[in-house]
Amino acid sequence: MTTAQCIGAVIAAAISLMTPGEASVKTDNTVLLPVKNDPTICFRIWFKTGSQDDPAGKEGLAAITASMLTAASTTRHSYEQILDLLYPLAASYDATVSTEMTVIFGRVHRDNLDDYYPLFLEAMTSPAFTQQDLDRIKSLTLNYLENTLRYSSDEELGKAVLYNNIFAGTPYGHIPEGLVSSVKSITLDDVRSFYNRYYTKNNLVLGLGGGYDAALLARLKRDLAQLPAGTPDIVPPPKPAALKGFRATIVQKDAPATAISMGVPIDVLRGTKDWYALAIANSWLGEHRNSSSHLYQVIREERGLNYGDYSYIENFPGGGRRTVPPQNVCRRRQIFEIWIRPVPAEAGHFALRAALREYRHLVEKGLTKDQFSLTRSFLKKYVLNYAPTTMARLGYALDDRFYGIAGSHLAKFRSMMATLTLADVNGAIRRHLRYGDMSIAIVAKDAGRLREEIAADTPSPITYRTKKPDAVLAEDREIAVFPVQIAPDAISVVPVTEEFR
Amino acid sequence: MKPLTAGLCVLAAFTLAAAPAMSDAIFPYKVTTAVLPNGLKVIMIPMDAPGLVAYYSVVRTGSRDEVEPGRSGYAHFFEHMMFRGTKKYPGPVYDSIVTSIGASAIAYTSDDITAYHLNFAVEDLPKVIEIESDRFQNLNYDLQGFQTESGAIYGEYRKGVTNPFEVLDEKIRDLAFDVHTYKHTTIGFERDIKAMPEGYEYSLGFFRRFYRPENVVLLIVGDIKPDAVLKLVKKYYGPWQKGYQASDVKPEPPQTAERSGEVSYPGKTLPILDMGYKGDAFDPSNTDFVAAGVFGELAFGSTSDLYKKLYIKEQRVDALQASIPSQRDMPLFEIVARVKNADDIAPIRGEIEKTIAQFQSTPVDPQRLAGVKKRSRYEFLMSLDTPDRVAGHLAHTVAITGGIEALDAYYTTLAKITPDDVMRAAGKYFVPARRTTVVLKGVTQ
Repeated sequence: MTTAQCIGAVIAAAISLMTPGEASVKTDNTVLLPVKNDPTICFRIWFKTGSQDDPAGKEGLAAITASMLTAASTTRHSYEQILDLLYPLAASYDATVSTEMTVIFGRVHRDNLDDYYPLFLEAMTSPAFTQQDLDRIKSLTLNYLENTLRYSSDEELGKAVLYNNIFAGTPYGHIPEGLVSSVKSITLDDVRSFYNRYYTKNNLVLGLGGGYDAALLARLKRDLAQLPAGTPDIVPPPKPAALKGFRATIVQKDAPATAISMGVPIDVLRGTKDWYALAIANSWLGEHRNSSSHLYQVIREERGLNYGDYSYIENFPGGGRRTVPPQNVCRRRQIFEIWIRPVPAEAGHFALRAALREYRHLVEKGLTKDQFSLTRSFLKKYVLNYAPTTMARLGYALDDRFYGIAGSHLAKFRSMMATLTLADVNGAIRRHLRYGDMSIAIVAKDAGRLREEIAADTPSPITYRTKKPDAVLAEDREIAVFPVQIAPDAISVVPVTEEFR
Repeated sequence: MKPLTAGLCVLAAFTLAAAPAMSDAIFPYKVTTAVLPNGLKVIMIPMDAPGLVAYYSVVRTGSRDEVEPGRSGYAHFFEHMMFRGTKKYPGPVYDSIVTSIGASAIAYTSDDITAYHLNFAVEDLPKVIEIESDRFQNLNYDLQGFQTESGAIYGEYRKGVTNPFEVLDEKIRDLAFDVHTYKHTTIGFERDIKAMPEGYEYSLGFFRRFYRPENVVLLIVGDIKPDAVLKLVKKYYGPWQKGYQASDVKPEPPQTAERSGEVSYPGKTLPILDMGYKGDAFDPSNTDFVAAGVFGELAFGSTSDLYKKLYIKEQRVDALQASIPSQRDMPLFEIVARVKNADDIAPIRGEIEKTIAQFQSTPVDPQRLAGVKKRSRYEFLMSLDTPDRVAGHLAHTVAITGGIEALDAYYTTLAKITPDDVMRAAGKYFVPARRTTVVLKGVTQ
């Protein structure tokens, strides 16, 4: 087979998997996605652990342990040697650690499999856990928490604060990177202990996709069976404190603009009929990075206040960097979330009102027939963009296992678009969304003043440097006095240096 | 419906060249290229991607074309305006069509390119060709729409300005370039962004000058039949009138002495050291240019001695890398290090200079050189797995060269690079007279 034919086969095989009805093969601890003639092989090894398993005072341990496997030395090779060996293969491996899932993943061309496989395997089975590696990895994490997250991306900062607040006091109540003090306290013994407890042969799901053969599968199964036995306890799903009314945290920092995130826990998960119905409502209100988002139309397109405005019914980390949803960030408890990218400081209060006004309208009125029809026809095709590669498909196949979805979520997504009705969608809105009980996180420069204005429900008229249509100006007058009163004691102002301490 | 007569004339006159895929060439697909009489080039690449198409409209204009003072950022601004619609398909109608076909419609701008791309089902290809050809020929927006969009641009600037690397990029370009438009970033100077609402007339001229068929290349990849696609392209793009007016982009005069500066970041960050050297424009047959990329990998990449020393062993930096960009004009070849301790900036700089000197005097290990070549090929091949990724990869090469032939030429040159070539490239480019050094430090501790 020529290179051209090989690559052509990859495409054919990968794309053919996008059609409804394709099935990955799933057994108790194996998810297989064979792709005939694919010259590349995809690995995703899912260990059933995540930041929810971080011990108190050791927040960040799950993520650091994973990095100590994939970006550090093994008992056979130093980290430097591993980098040297991987480099010519154009292959690597890495880990994603989210609240509930840790996945070690990698992709390699079949030509290079023999050189790659031993390295990939020993990363999981033979970590060296050296102090030098731990120091480096902790330093990177601390730089992320102390500098990058606090100062260089206000929108990621706002989202992190929102999640931490909503799930405060539960195992979900910290971002996977942890806290500055807890990360500093993590020792090699902590890492060893976490590894021994959670990286067991009974606590993994083996995901393999692409052009592997039976021999590789057998070998991988046999080799992963070298891991020690052990079935760690499963943390129960969190029960976040019920919200009554709005609660807001305003993070005070020298921000050039005001970033807003808000959300509320919901009790609907992927795979259920209501989830797909709610997905239509959510897509209409705020499809991620898409001009079809209604919030985007109102805040960006008509008023030019920012770069984009979206909403979510599933955790969507790294939203600023990606256009479609990530895989392997599943959770048993999700929130409905609205994300308003930074707006000029003087428009912060106005933008908050504008978003809440649209959200309330959706909750109270539901979708119209036209909105419903357009959105479901959009989604039916748009979800094809969610998983164009074998690696992404394999990720979704693991997610299907997490949520207990028989068959394929993406295939089900498409078929549900043909069967759901407007009544289903508006029923799901009534059952799962409510207006008024929400957590709000704002990153702003003049936090004290904003707090006073929100608490007093002070009108927030907006002026533009440029002319706007009369219809927009008329609506602005309504938005400016839209009531979003929050009790003063429900609004806290927190200096940025206090976050993630 | 557009007049068909022009399209029929085109039928007789267009040129069509189909190059079979060569087993020893890097690019593995059969490519069909056509050029319409109005100069519009269409590159069609059928792939076994059932039902899917990636459609890229590559405008060979970017922020390098912003030659007028006070107009930085307009190529990117214009990218936004292209979504404001036409008389036939006003912005909301365009949006609703894209939404109804479930397409992902995105655009981006950089120094040398403005690209618009959609991924969609092949059955919607005729509609996409129609709406894309319409907005490229008949864009129509009013002053209010223009001014409102300028607010979104400012929002994008505010979103990015908290990133220290963007602050650094703005500074080193401004310092390194005197004449050439690489002096400014793609988003533009903040003062120019603030003034954008007053630039309506200028923006109309931007469309007239650059959004012309001779300056645009269509890349259509996926489950397509070139002959049928071409008929539609000719029908809808055929009437598009020539009229491209190239910008008078002044070449940057040779730098004769080292430059250096500092920039403050209004937040907390580890200090960042950025050493930029005036390089060469992309030229796949220029051995020095190609060897410079190899040098960057071997001297500062993850397998380099310096990376292992400073990042892994001594842990004095938490990031180190070299960037040898492929650009239409002379760019900066940059070496960037994020340093853990501000007192260590000068010693780290010394380590970088020592490494350069070593590469200028000592040929690299042939085995390491072979590793770069092998990695480069596999990296490229493994990335060509969806129509969007194929088109996305090609778009940049198309923008800076006008076609995709340069890809094979680049890999042919790379295969012949010798240790002496790497040594010569290190000695040619990475010298003090070509250098601009900027240190970024946070002001909040």
